[in-house]
Amino acid sequence: MSDAPKNIVSPQTIEQVYKPMNRRTFLKGTAGAMVGMAGLVAALKPLLALEKGEISLDDLLQKHYRQLSPEDLQRIMTMLEKRCEKQYGVRPTIQDLKPMDGVQFGYALNLTRCVGCRKCAHACLAENNQSRDYDDDLSMSYIRVLEMNKGAINLETSTAYYDPELVPQKDKYYMPVQCHQCKDSPCTKVCPVQATWQEKDGIVVVDYNWCIGCRYCMAACPYDARRFNYQKPTIKPEAINRNQDYLSNRIRPKGVVEKCTFCLQRTRAGKYPACLEVCPTGARVFGNVLDPNSEINYILNNKRVYILKEDVGTLPRFYYYFDV
Amino acid sequence: MRMRSTKHGVPPSLSRACLSVLSLVACGMWLALAQEDTAAKPQLPQLPKVARPPAAQPQVGLATDAHLNKTPPRETKGLDLVKLGWTYNCMECHKLLKQPRWHYDRPMVEHQDVKLQHGNNRFCLNCHHPTNRNAFVDYDGSEIQEADVVLLCAKCHGTTYRDWQAGVHGRQNGYWNKEMGESTKLRCIQCHDPHHPAFQPMKPLPPLRYPPRAAGGSARSSGESGTHP
Repeated sequence: MSDAPKNIVSPQTIEQVYKPMNRRTFLKGTAGAMVGMAGLVAALKPLLALEKGEISLDDLLQKHYRQLSPEDLQRIMTMLEKRCEKQYGVRPTIQDLKPMDGVQFGYALNLTRCVGCRKCAHACLAENNQSRDYDDDLSMSYIRVLEMNKGAINLETSTAYYDPELVPQKDKYYMPVQCHQCKDSPCTKVCPVQATWQEKDGIVVVDYNWCIGCRYCMAACPYDARRFNYQKPTIKPEAINRNQDYLSNRIRPKGVVEKCTFCLQRTRAGKYPACLEVCPTGARVFGNVLDPNSEINYILNNKRVYILKEDVGTLPRFYYYFDV
Repeated sequence: MRMRSTKHGVPPSLSRACLSVLSLVACGMWLALAQEDTAAKPQLPQLPKVARPPAAQPQVGLATDAHLNKTPPRETKGLDLVKLGWTYNCMECHKLLKQPRWHYDRPMVEHQDVKLQHGNNRFCLNCHHPTNRNAFVDYDGSEIQEADVVLLCAKCHGTTYRDWQAGVHGRQNGYWNKEMGESTKLRCIQCHDPHHPAFQPMKPLPPLRYPPRAAGGSARSSGESGTHP
Protein backbone atom coordinates (compact mmCIF):
# COMPACT_ATOMS: atom_id res chain seq x y z
CA MET A 1 0.00 0.00 0.00
CA SER A 2 1.59 3.20 -1.07
CA ASP A 3 1.26 6.43 0.79
CA ALA A 4 1.14 8.48 -2.33
CA PRO A 5 -1.89 10.77 -2.25
CA LYS A 6 -4.56 10.18 -4.84
CA ASN A 7 -6.49 12.63 -6.96
CA ILE A 8 -3.82 15.18 -7.11
CA VAL A 9 -4.93 17.97 -9.43
CA SER A 10 -2.24 19.56 -11.43
CA PRO A 11 -1.94 23.25 -10.70
CA GLN A 12 -3.95 25.46 -13.06
CA THR A 13 -3.50 29.00 -14.06
CA ILE A 14 -6.26 31.51 -13.43
CA GLU A 15 -6.81 31.81 -17.21
CA GLN A 16 -7.50 28.13 -17.38
CA VAL A 17 -10.16 28.28 -14.70
CA TYR A 18 -11.93 31.50 -15.62
CA LYS A 19 -11.87 31.60 -19.41
CA PRO A 20 -11.61 35.17 -20.50
CA MET A 21 -13.16 36.35 -23.75
CA ASN A 22 -10.70 36.22 -26.53
CA ARG A 23 -11.09 36.56 -30.28
CA ARG A 24 -11.99 32.90 -30.78
CA THR A 25 -14.76 32.72 -28.21
CA PHE A 26 -16.17 36.05 -29.31
CA LEU A 27 -16.51 34.89 -32.93
CA LYS A 28 -18.02 31.62 -31.84
CA GLY A 29 -20.63 33.35 -29.74
CA THR A 30 -21.47 35.81 -32.45
CA ALA A 31 -21.91 33.07 -35.03
CA GLY A 32 -24.18 31.17 -32.67
CA ALA A 33 -26.29 34.23 -32.09
CA MET A 34 -26.55 34.86 -35.81
CA VAL A 35 -27.75 31.31 -36.47
CA GLY A 36 -30.30 31.67 -33.71
CA MET A 37 -31.59 34.92 -35.14
CA ALA A 38 -31.80 33.42 -38.63
CA GLY A 39 -33.76 30.52 -37.26
CA LEU A 40 -36.15 32.85 -35.52
CA VAL A 41 -36.67 34.85 -38.67
CA ALA A 42 -37.27 31.71 -40.68
CA ALA A 43 -39.76 30.47 -38.11
CA LEU A 44 -41.66 33.73 -38.26
CA LYS A 45 -41.58 33.92 -42.03
CA PRO A 46 -45.15 32.66 -42.46
CA LEU A 47 -46.21 35.85 -40.78
CA LEU A 48 -45.16 37.67 -43.94
CA ALA A 49 -48.12 36.04 -45.62
CA LEU A 50 -50.28 37.89 -43.13
CA GLU A 51 -49.06 41.17 -44.54
CA LYS A 52 -49.76 40.08 -48.07
CA GLY A 53 -53.27 39.03 -47.11
CA GLU A 54 -52.80 35.43 -48.28
CA ILE A 55 -53.81 34.12 -44.89
CA SER A 56 -55.61 35.65 -42.00
CA LEU A 57 -54.89 35.67 -38.31
CA ASP A 58 -57.68 33.14 -37.95
CA ASP A 59 -55.73 30.68 -40.07
CA LEU A 60 -52.73 30.91 -37.81
CA LEU A 61 -54.75 30.57 -34.63
CA GLN A 62 -57.12 27.90 -35.90
CA LYS A 63 -57.43 24.76 -33.82
CA HIS A 64 -57.37 21.18 -35.00
CA TYR A 65 -60.56 20.06 -36.75
CA ARG A 66 -61.55 17.75 -33.91
CA GLN A 67 -61.21 20.52 -31.34
CA LEU A 68 -63.26 23.06 -33.24
CA SER A 69 -66.63 24.08 -31.92
CA PRO A 70 -69.46 23.92 -34.47
CA GLU A 71 -69.65 27.73 -34.54
CA ASP A 72 -65.95 28.07 -35.21
CA LEU A 73 -66.09 25.46 -37.94
CA GLN A 74 -69.02 27.19 -39.56
CA ARG A 75 -67.16 30.48 -39.46
CA ILE A 76 -64.07 28.89 -41.03
CA MET A 77 -66.08 27.23 -43.76
CA THR A 78 -67.79 30.51 -44.63
CA MET A 79 -64.38 32.13 -44.77
CA LEU A 80 -63.11 29.38 -47.08
CA GLU A 81 -66.12 29.87 -49.34
CA LYS A 82 -65.41 33.59 -49.56
CA ARG A 83 -61.76 33.00 -50.25
CA CYS A 84 -62.56 30.52 -53.01
CA GLU A 85 -64.88 33.05 -54.59
CA LYS A 86 -62.17 35.67 -54.42
CA GLN A 87 -59.42 33.47 -55.83
CA TYR A 88 -61.30 31.30 -58.32
CA GLY A 89 -64.43 33.29 -59.07
CA VAL A 90 -66.82 30.55 -57.96
CA ARG A 91 -68.70 30.43 -54.69
CA PRO A 92 -68.90 26.82 -53.48
CA THR A 93 -71.03 25.36 -50.71
CA ILE A 94 -68.71 23.88 -48.12
CA GLN A 95 -70.34 21.60 -45.62
CA ASP A 96 -69.17 19.25 -42.93
CA LEU A 97 -70.88 15.89 -43.16
CA LYS A 98 -70.38 13.69 -40.13
CA PRO A 99 -70.00 9.90 -40.29
CA MET A 100 -73.24 7.98 -40.04
CA ASP A 101 -73.96 5.60 -37.22
CA GLY A 102 -73.70 1.91 -38.02
CA VAL A 103 -71.88 2.52 -41.28
CA GLN A 104 -68.44 1.39 -42.31
CA PHE A 105 -67.67 1.76 -45.95
CA GLY A 106 -66.25 -0.93 -48.16
CA TYR A 107 -65.33 -0.84 -51.82
CA ALA A 108 -64.85 -3.71 -54.22
CA LEU A 109 -63.58 -3.70 -57.76
CA ASN A 110 -64.11 -6.46 -60.29
CA LEU A 111 -60.83 -7.14 -62.06
CA THR A 112 -62.62 -9.37 -64.57
CA ARG A 113 -64.85 -6.53 -65.69
CA CYS A 114 -62.53 -3.54 -65.65
CA VAL A 115 -61.57 -2.57 -69.19
CA GLY A 116 -59.11 0.18 -68.33
CA CYS A 117 -61.03 3.06 -69.89
CA ARG A 118 -59.86 5.53 -67.19
CA LYS A 119 -63.32 7.06 -66.79
CA CYS A 120 -62.98 6.69 -63.02
CA ALA A 121 -59.70 8.60 -62.91
CA HIS A 122 -61.18 11.48 -64.88
CA ALA A 123 -64.42 11.48 -62.89
CA CYS A 124 -62.27 11.81 -59.78
CA LEU A 125 -60.90 15.06 -61.21
CA ALA A 126 -64.36 16.35 -62.03
CA GLU A 127 -65.62 15.62 -58.53
CA ASN A 128 -62.74 16.43 -56.24
CA ASN A 129 -61.38 19.76 -57.50
CA GLN A 130 -57.78 18.68 -57.89
CA SER A 131 -55.20 21.01 -59.31
CA ARG A 132 -54.82 20.70 -63.08
CA ASP A 133 -52.25 22.27 -65.34
CA TYR A 134 -54.37 21.38 -68.35
CA ASP A 135 -57.84 19.90 -68.72
CA ASP A 136 -56.90 16.22 -68.75
CA ASP A 137 -54.06 16.44 -66.29
CA LEU A 138 -54.30 13.20 -64.34
CA SER A 139 -51.27 13.81 -62.16
CA MET A 140 -53.37 14.78 -59.13
CA SER A 141 -56.13 12.24 -59.71
CA TYR A 142 -56.53 9.87 -56.79
CA ILE A 143 -56.88 6.87 -59.10
CA ARG A 144 -54.09 5.29 -61.08
CA VAL A 145 -55.24 2.68 -63.57
CA LEU A 146 -52.46 0.14 -64.01
CA GLU A 147 -52.14 -2.00 -67.10
CA MET A 148 -50.98 -5.43 -66.01
CA ASN A 149 -49.71 -8.42 -67.93
CA LYS A 150 -52.05 -11.36 -67.78
CA GLY A 151 -50.91 -14.34 -65.81
CA ALA A 152 -49.80 -12.69 -62.59
CA ILE A 153 -50.46 -9.73 -60.37
CA ASN A 154 -47.07 -8.14 -60.83
CA LEU A 155 -46.93 -4.43 -60.14
CA GLU A 156 -43.34 -4.19 -61.30
CA THR A 157 -44.23 -4.81 -64.91
CA SER A 158 -47.34 -2.65 -64.78
CA THR A 159 -47.71 0.80 -66.26
CA ALA A 160 -50.07 3.70 -65.71
CA TYR A 161 -49.06 5.42 -68.94
CA TYR A 162 -50.59 3.00 -71.44
CA ASP A 163 -52.33 4.64 -74.37
CA PRO A 164 -53.46 2.15 -77.03
CA GLU A 165 -56.14 2.88 -79.59
CA LEU A 166 -58.62 0.59 -77.91
CA VAL A 167 -58.89 -1.07 -74.53
CA PRO A 168 -58.88 -3.77 -73.29
CA GLN A 169 -55.82 -5.18 -75.00
CA LYS A 170 -55.77 -8.93 -75.47
CA ASP A 171 -52.89 -9.86 -73.20
CA LYS A 172 -53.52 -7.22 -70.56
CA TYR A 173 -55.83 -6.61 -67.68
CA TYR A 174 -56.36 -3.44 -65.73
CA MET A 175 -56.19 -2.61 -62.06
CA PRO A 176 -57.25 0.80 -60.79
CA VAL A 177 -55.50 1.66 -57.55
CA GLN A 178 -56.70 4.32 -55.14
CA CYS A 179 -56.72 4.86 -51.39
CA HIS A 180 -57.57 1.60 -49.63
CA GLN A 181 -58.75 3.35 -46.43
CA CYS A 182 -56.77 0.86 -44.36
CA LYS A 183 -58.02 -0.13 -40.93
CA ASP A 184 -54.42 -0.19 -39.71
CA SER A 185 -53.29 2.79 -41.72
CA PRO A 186 -49.58 3.59 -41.74
CA CYS A 187 -50.16 7.10 -43.07
CA THR A 188 -52.02 8.22 -39.96
CA LYS A 189 -49.39 6.72 -37.66
CA VAL A 190 -46.49 8.66 -39.11
CA CYS A 191 -48.13 12.07 -39.18
CA PRO A 192 -46.14 14.21 -36.72
CA VAL A 193 -49.01 16.65 -36.13
CA GLN A 194 -51.98 14.26 -36.36
CA ALA A 195 -53.39 16.11 -39.31
CA THR A 196 -54.67 12.85 -40.78
CA TRP A 197 -56.80 10.28 -38.99
CA GLN A 198 -59.40 7.64 -39.49
CA GLU A 199 -63.04 8.55 -39.08
CA LYS A 200 -65.69 6.37 -37.50
CA ASP A 201 -66.93 5.11 -40.85
CA GLY A 202 -63.44 4.04 -41.86
CA ILE A 203 -62.49 6.91 -44.11
CA VAL A 204 -59.01 8.34 -43.64
CA VAL A 205 -59.23 12.11 -43.87
CA VAL A 206 -56.83 15.05 -43.78
CA ASP A 207 -57.40 18.38 -42.09
CA TYR A 208 -55.91 20.49 -44.85
CA ASN A 209 -55.66 23.47 -42.54
CA TRP A 210 -53.60 21.47 -40.05
CA CYS A 211 -51.27 19.61 -42.45
CA ILE A 212 -47.73 20.94 -42.49
CA GLY A 213 -46.77 19.26 -45.75
CA CYS A 214 -43.97 17.04 -44.48
CA ARG A 215 -45.12 14.18 -46.76
CA TYR A 216 -44.27 11.45 -44.27
CA CYS A 217 -47.69 9.96 -45.05
CA MET A 218 -46.87 9.74 -48.74
CA ALA A 219 -43.74 7.82 -47.92
CA ALA A 220 -45.63 5.52 -45.58
CA CYS A 221 -48.47 4.68 -47.97
CA PRO A 222 -48.00 1.36 -49.78
CA TYR A 223 -50.58 2.24 -52.44
CA ASP A 224 -49.31 5.61 -53.72
CA ALA A 225 -52.66 7.05 -52.72
CA ARG A 226 -51.67 10.51 -51.59
CA ARG A 227 -50.93 13.59 -53.65
CA PHE A 228 -49.03 16.70 -52.68
CA ASN A 229 -49.87 20.24 -53.75
CA TYR A 230 -46.50 21.51 -54.88
CA GLN A 231 -48.11 24.72 -56.07
CA LYS A 232 -51.23 26.73 -55.50
CA PRO A 233 -53.94 24.62 -57.10
CA THR A 234 -54.80 25.67 -60.63
CA ILE A 235 -58.32 24.88 -61.72
CA LYS A 236 -60.64 26.54 -64.17
CA PRO A 237 -63.74 28.15 -62.64
CA GLU A 238 -66.09 26.13 -64.83
CA ALA A 239 -64.40 22.91 -63.70
CA ILE A 240 -65.00 23.53 -60.01
CA ASN A 241 -67.47 21.25 -58.29
CA ARG A 242 -69.44 23.45 -55.91
CA ASN A 243 -70.62 20.64 -53.68
CA GLN A 244 -67.68 20.62 -51.29
CA ASP A 245 -66.83 19.23 -47.91
CA TYR A 246 -64.34 20.55 -45.39
CA LEU A 247 -62.54 17.22 -45.06
CA SER A 248 -62.82 16.14 -48.65
CA ASN A 249 -62.96 18.03 -51.88
CA ARG A 250 -62.67 21.69 -51.03
CA ILE A 251 -59.89 23.36 -52.97
CA ARG A 252 -56.73 22.67 -51.03
CA PRO A 253 -54.13 25.27 -50.14
CA LYS A 254 -50.58 25.04 -51.42
CA GLY A 255 -48.21 22.71 -49.58
CA VAL A 256 -50.62 20.16 -48.15
CA VAL A 257 -51.25 16.50 -48.87
CA GLU A 258 -54.60 15.39 -50.21
CA LYS A 259 -56.16 11.99 -50.79
CA CYS A 260 -59.17 9.96 -51.80
CA THR A 261 -61.98 10.04 -49.24
CA PHE A 262 -64.38 7.71 -51.08
CA CYS A 263 -66.02 11.02 -52.12
CA LEU A 264 -67.34 11.53 -48.61
CA GLN A 265 -69.25 14.62 -49.71
CA ARG A 266 -71.34 12.15 -51.71
CA THR A 267 -71.17 8.92 -49.75
CA ARG A 268 -72.06 10.47 -46.41
CA ALA A 269 -75.10 11.90 -48.18
CA GLY A 270 -76.03 8.37 -49.24
CA LYS A 271 -74.83 8.57 -52.84
CA TYR A 272 -72.33 6.42 -54.68
CA PRO A 273 -68.80 7.73 -55.20
CA ALA A 274 -68.08 9.50 -58.47
CA CYS A 275 -65.77 6.77 -59.77
CA LEU A 276 -68.54 4.21 -59.38
CA GLU A 277 -71.11 6.44 -61.05
CA VAL A 278 -69.17 6.63 -64.29
CA CYS A 279 -67.86 3.07 -64.54
CA PRO A 280 -69.28 1.84 -67.87
CA THR A 281 -68.97 -1.85 -67.03
CA GLY A 282 -70.25 -1.77 -63.48
CA ALA A 283 -66.97 -3.12 -62.17
CA ARG A 284 -67.18 -1.12 -58.97
CA VAL A 285 -69.31 -1.99 -55.95
CA PHE A 286 -69.66 0.21 -52.91
CA GLY A 287 -71.60 -0.17 -49.72
CA ASN A 288 -71.88 -0.52 -46.00
CA VAL A 289 -69.92 -3.46 -44.64
CA LEU A 290 -71.96 -3.53 -41.44
CA ASP A 291 -75.19 -4.06 -43.36
CA PRO A 292 -75.49 -7.84 -43.92
CA ASN A 293 -77.68 -7.31 -47.01
CA SER A 294 -75.41 -4.84 -48.72
CA GLU A 295 -73.82 -5.48 -52.08
CA ILE A 296 -70.33 -5.29 -50.68
CA ASN A 297 -71.14 -8.05 -48.22
CA TYR A 298 -72.48 -10.21 -51.02
CA ILE A 299 -69.07 -9.97 -52.67
CA LEU A 300 -67.12 -10.64 -49.52
CA ASN A 301 -69.26 -13.71 -48.87
CA ASN A 302 -69.54 -15.13 -52.38
CA LYS A 303 -66.63 -14.02 -54.54
CA ARG A 304 -62.95 -14.70 -54.70
CA VAL A 305 -61.51 -11.59 -53.11
CA TYR A 306 -57.96 -10.38 -53.59
CA ILE A 307 -56.34 -7.79 -51.37
CA LEU A 308 -53.51 -5.81 -52.88
CA LYS A 309 -50.33 -6.03 -50.83
CA GLU A 310 -52.08 -7.98 -48.13
CA ASP A 311 -48.68 -8.92 -46.74
CA VAL A 312 -47.98 -5.41 -45.52
CA GLY A 313 -50.80 -5.92 -43.06
CA THR A 314 -52.64 -2.64 -43.38
CA LEU A 315 -56.10 -4.28 -43.53
CA PRO A 316 -57.58 -2.37 -46.46
CA ARG A 317 -61.27 -1.62 -46.95
CA PHE A 318 -60.76 -1.85 -50.69
CA TYR A 319 -61.07 -5.28 -52.24
CA TYR A 320 -60.45 -6.65 -55.69
CA TYR A 321 -62.45 -9.63 -56.80
CA PHE A 322 -62.91 -11.93 -59.75
CA ASP A 323 -65.92 -13.22 -61.60
CA VAL A 324 -66.22 -16.23 -63.87
CA MET B 1 -109.27 22.16 -100.76
CA ARG B 2 -109.19 23.57 -104.22
CA MET B 3 -110.01 26.99 -102.94
CA ARG B 4 -107.13 26.85 -100.53
CA SER B 5 -104.67 25.56 -103.08
CA THR B 6 -105.60 28.22 -105.58
CA LYS B 7 -105.18 30.77 -102.85
CA HIS B 8 -101.60 29.59 -102.35
CA GLY B 9 -100.93 29.71 -106.06
CA VAL B 10 -100.90 25.96 -106.84
CA PRO B 11 -102.54 25.25 -110.17
CA PRO B 12 -105.84 23.39 -109.75
CA SER B 13 -104.79 20.68 -112.17
CA LEU B 14 -101.88 19.64 -109.93
CA SER B 15 -103.98 19.37 -106.80
CA ARG B 16 -106.56 17.34 -108.69
CA ALA B 17 -103.82 14.92 -109.75
CA CYS B 18 -102.65 14.57 -106.15
CA LEU B 19 -106.15 13.83 -104.97
CA SER B 20 -106.60 11.08 -107.53
CA VAL B 21 -103.31 9.42 -106.62
CA LEU B 22 -104.21 9.50 -102.94
CA SER B 23 -107.58 7.97 -103.54
CA LEU B 24 -105.99 5.18 -105.61
CA VAL B 25 -103.60 4.32 -102.76
CA ALA B 26 -106.43 4.33 -100.25
CA CYS B 27 -108.48 1.97 -102.41
CA GLY B 28 -105.53 -0.42 -102.73
CA MET B 29 -104.99 -0.56 -99.00
CA TRP B 30 -108.65 -1.14 -98.31
CA LEU B 31 -108.74 -3.96 -100.84
CA ALA B 32 -105.69 -5.63 -99.35
CA LEU B 33 -107.08 -5.47 -95.84
CA ALA B 34 -110.45 -6.73 -96.95
CA GLN B 35 -108.85 -9.70 -98.72
CA GLU B 36 -106.91 -10.68 -95.65
CA ASP B 37 -110.00 -10.40 -93.48
CA THR B 38 -112.01 -12.64 -95.72
CA ALA B 39 -109.19 -15.16 -96.24
CA ALA B 40 -108.14 -16.42 -92.78
CA LYS B 41 -109.34 -14.16 -90.00
CA PRO B 42 -106.48 -15.16 -87.65
CA GLN B 43 -107.02 -14.37 -84.02
CA LEU B 44 -104.24 -11.94 -83.43
CA PRO B 45 -102.84 -12.08 -79.94
CA GLN B 46 -103.60 -9.13 -77.74
CA LEU B 47 -100.71 -6.73 -77.98
CA PRO B 48 -98.92 -6.46 -74.68
CA LYS B 49 -98.67 -3.13 -73.01
CA VAL B 50 -95.01 -2.14 -72.98
CA ALA B 51 -94.54 0.20 -70.10
CA ARG B 52 -91.61 1.96 -71.65
CA PRO B 53 -90.00 1.37 -75.00
CA PRO B 54 -86.52 0.02 -74.36
CA ALA B 55 -84.82 2.67 -76.42
CA ALA B 56 -86.17 5.43 -74.21
CA GLN B 57 -83.58 4.62 -71.63
CA PRO B 58 -83.88 6.00 -68.17
CA GLN B 59 -81.45 8.66 -67.16
CA VAL B 60 -78.26 7.15 -65.83
CA GLY B 61 -77.48 8.49 -62.39
CA LEU B 62 -78.65 11.59 -60.62
CA ALA B 63 -79.58 14.85 -62.26
CA THR B 64 -77.28 16.69 -59.88
CA ASP B 65 -74.26 14.86 -61.26
CA ALA B 66 -74.07 16.75 -64.53
CA HIS B 67 -70.34 17.19 -64.09
CA LEU B 68 -69.69 13.44 -64.33
CA ASN B 69 -69.32 11.75 -67.69
CA LYS B 70 -71.99 9.08 -67.50
CA THR B 71 -72.00 7.99 -71.11
CA PRO B 72 -74.93 5.68 -71.78
CA PRO B 73 -73.67 2.13 -71.67
CA ARG B 74 -75.11 1.17 -75.00
CA GLU B 75 -75.95 3.22 -78.04
CA THR B 76 -79.28 1.88 -79.18
CA LYS B 77 -79.45 1.55 -82.92
CA GLY B 78 -83.14 2.29 -83.10
CA LEU B 79 -82.87 5.59 -81.35
CA ASP B 80 -83.52 7.57 -84.53
CA LEU B 81 -86.62 5.54 -85.17
CA VAL B 82 -87.86 6.29 -81.68
CA LYS B 83 -87.43 9.97 -82.30
CA LEU B 84 -89.58 9.56 -85.38
CA GLY B 85 -92.34 8.10 -83.27
CA TRP B 86 -91.60 4.38 -83.66
CA THR B 87 -92.79 2.59 -80.59
CA TYR B 88 -91.09 -0.78 -81.02
CA ASN B 89 -94.41 -2.40 -81.65
CA CYS B 90 -93.10 -5.30 -83.71
CA MET B 91 -96.56 -6.67 -84.35
CA GLU B 92 -97.41 -3.71 -86.54
CA CYS B 93 -95.57 -5.52 -89.28
CA HIS B 94 -95.59 -9.07 -88.03
CA LYS B 95 -99.35 -9.30 -87.83
CA LEU B 96 -99.36 -9.12 -91.62
CA LEU B 97 -97.10 -12.14 -91.86
CA LYS B 98 -98.16 -15.72 -91.62
CA GLN B 99 -97.60 -17.93 -88.65
CA PRO B 100 -93.85 -18.36 -88.35
CA ARG B 101 -92.06 -21.64 -88.38
CA TRP B 102 -88.62 -22.55 -87.18
CA HIS B 103 -86.17 -21.58 -89.87
CA TYR B 104 -82.67 -22.77 -89.52
CA ASP B 105 -81.23 -21.65 -92.82
CA ARG B 106 -83.64 -19.10 -94.20
CA PRO B 107 -81.88 -15.95 -95.34
CA MET B 108 -83.38 -12.92 -93.71
CA VAL B 109 -85.03 -10.35 -95.89
CA GLU B 110 -85.65 -7.81 -93.16
CA HIS B 111 -83.52 -7.12 -90.12
CA GLN B 112 -80.37 -7.52 -92.13
CA ASP B 113 -78.57 -5.19 -89.77
CA VAL B 114 -78.75 -7.87 -87.12
CA LYS B 115 -75.49 -9.81 -87.00
CA LEU B 116 -76.11 -12.49 -84.46
CA GLN B 117 -72.93 -13.13 -82.48
CA HIS B 118 -74.26 -14.66 -79.32
CA GLY B 119 -72.11 -17.76 -79.10
CA ASN B 120 -74.08 -20.96 -79.32
CA ASN B 121 -77.34 -19.07 -79.32
CA ARG B 122 -77.82 -18.84 -83.08
CA PHE B 123 -81.58 -18.86 -83.65
CA CYS B 124 -83.99 -15.95 -83.53
CA LEU B 125 -86.76 -17.93 -81.88
CA ASN B 126 -84.53 -19.03 -79.04
CA CYS B 127 -85.35 -15.67 -77.55
CA HIS B 128 -88.13 -14.10 -79.62
CA HIS B 129 -91.62 -15.40 -79.20
CA PRO B 130 -92.82 -17.20 -82.33
CA THR B 131 -96.26 -15.62 -82.47
CA ASN B 132 -96.00 -12.47 -80.43
CA ARG B 133 -92.97 -10.56 -81.56
CA ASN B 134 -93.44 -7.98 -78.84
CA ALA B 135 -92.51 -10.58 -76.28
CA PHE B 136 -89.80 -13.11 -75.61
CA VAL B 137 -90.23 -16.81 -75.16
CA ASP B 138 -89.80 -18.83 -72.00
CA TYR B 139 -88.81 -22.49 -71.69
CA ASP B 140 -92.40 -23.67 -71.97
CA GLY B 141 -93.34 -21.37 -74.84
CA SER B 142 -95.07 -18.84 -72.67
CA GLU B 143 -94.38 -15.17 -73.08
CA ILE B 144 -91.85 -13.06 -71.25
CA GLN B 145 -92.80 -9.43 -71.49
CA GLU B 146 -90.31 -6.99 -72.85
CA ALA B 147 -89.97 -5.22 -69.54
CA ASP B 148 -88.95 -8.53 -67.95
CA VAL B 149 -86.14 -9.16 -70.38
CA VAL B 150 -83.91 -10.02 -67.44
CA LEU B 151 -85.87 -13.24 -66.99
CA LEU B 152 -85.14 -14.17 -70.58
CA CYS B 153 -81.39 -13.76 -70.13
CA ALA B 154 -81.60 -15.64 -66.85
CA LYS B 155 -82.65 -18.73 -68.77
CA CYS B 156 -79.01 -19.31 -69.64
CA HIS B 157 -77.03 -16.85 -67.52
CA GLY B 158 -78.26 -17.97 -64.13
CA THR B 159 -75.20 -17.06 -62.09
CA THR B 160 -75.03 -13.64 -63.66
CA TYR B 161 -78.70 -13.17 -62.93
CA ARG B 162 -78.08 -14.03 -59.31
CA ASP B 163 -75.32 -11.45 -59.14
CA TRP B 164 -77.54 -8.89 -60.84
CA GLN B 165 -80.30 -9.51 -58.31
CA ALA B 166 -77.83 -8.92 -55.51
CA GLY B 167 -76.78 -5.67 -57.19
CA VAL B 168 -73.28 -6.85 -57.97
CA HIS B 169 -73.39 -7.42 -61.71
CA GLY B 170 -74.03 -4.41 -63.88
CA ARG B 171 -74.19 -0.75 -63.37
CA GLN B 172 -75.95 0.91 -60.48
CA ASN B 173 -76.33 4.62 -60.00
CA GLY B 174 -77.81 6.92 -57.44
CA TYR B 175 -77.84 6.12 -53.75
CA TRP B 176 -76.09 3.26 -51.99
CA ASN B 177 -78.26 4.00 -48.97
CA LYS B 178 -81.73 2.95 -50.02
CA GLU B 179 -83.27 4.91 -47.15
CA MET B 180 -81.88 8.20 -48.42
CA GLY B 181 -82.71 7.83 -52.08
CA GLU B 182 -83.27 5.53 -54.99
CA SER B 183 -80.73 3.74 -57.08
CA THR B 184 -81.24 2.82 -60.69
CA LYS B 185 -80.32 -0.65 -61.75
CA LEU B 186 -79.94 -1.13 -65.47
CA ARG B 187 -81.39 -4.17 -67.19
CA CYS B 188 -79.30 -6.55 -69.33
CA ILE B 189 -80.03 -5.09 -72.75
CA GLN B 190 -79.37 -1.55 -71.64
CA CYS B 191 -75.66 -2.37 -71.60
CA HIS B 192 -75.39 -5.49 -73.74
CA ASP B 193 -76.53 -5.62 -77.33
CA PRO B 194 -78.50 -8.88 -77.18
CA HIS B 195 -77.36 -9.85 -80.66
CA HIS B 196 -73.73 -9.19 -79.75
CA PRO B 197 -73.52 -9.24 -75.97
CA ALA B 198 -69.77 -8.91 -75.57
CA PHE B 199 -68.63 -5.37 -74.89
CA GLN B 200 -66.90 -3.66 -77.75
CA PRO B 201 -63.38 -2.36 -77.10
CA MET B 202 -63.45 1.33 -76.39
CA LYS B 203 -61.13 4.28 -76.65
CA PRO B 204 -59.46 5.00 -73.32
CA LEU B 205 -59.50 8.51 -71.95
CA PRO B 206 -56.21 10.44 -72.04
CA PRO B 207 -53.44 8.93 -69.95
CA LEU B 208 -51.32 10.33 -67.21
CA ARG B 209 -48.42 12.09 -68.87
CA TYR B 210 -44.89 11.40 -67.86
CA PRO B 211 -43.82 13.70 -65.11
CA PRO B 212 -41.33 16.29 -66.39
CA ARG B 213 -38.29 14.81 -64.72
CA ALA B 214 -38.88 11.49 -66.39
CA ALA B 215 -39.86 12.94 -69.75
CA GLY B 216 -36.27 13.43 -70.85
CA GLY B 217 -35.07 10.72 -73.22
CA SER B 218 -32.22 9.43 -71.11
CA ALA B 219 -34.26 8.87 -67.98
CA ARG B 220 -36.83 6.78 -69.82
CA SER B 221 -34.65 4.83 -72.21
CA SER B 222 -32.10 3.88 -69.57
CA GLY B 223 -34.76 2.28 -67.40
CA GLU B 224 -34.82 -1.48 -67.34
CA SER B 225 -38.41 -1.98 -68.39
CA GLY B 226 -39.21 1.54 -69.50
CA THR B 227 -42.56 1.40 -67.81
CA HIS B 228 -41.86 3.26 -64.63
CA PRO B 229 -40.46 6.76 -64.83
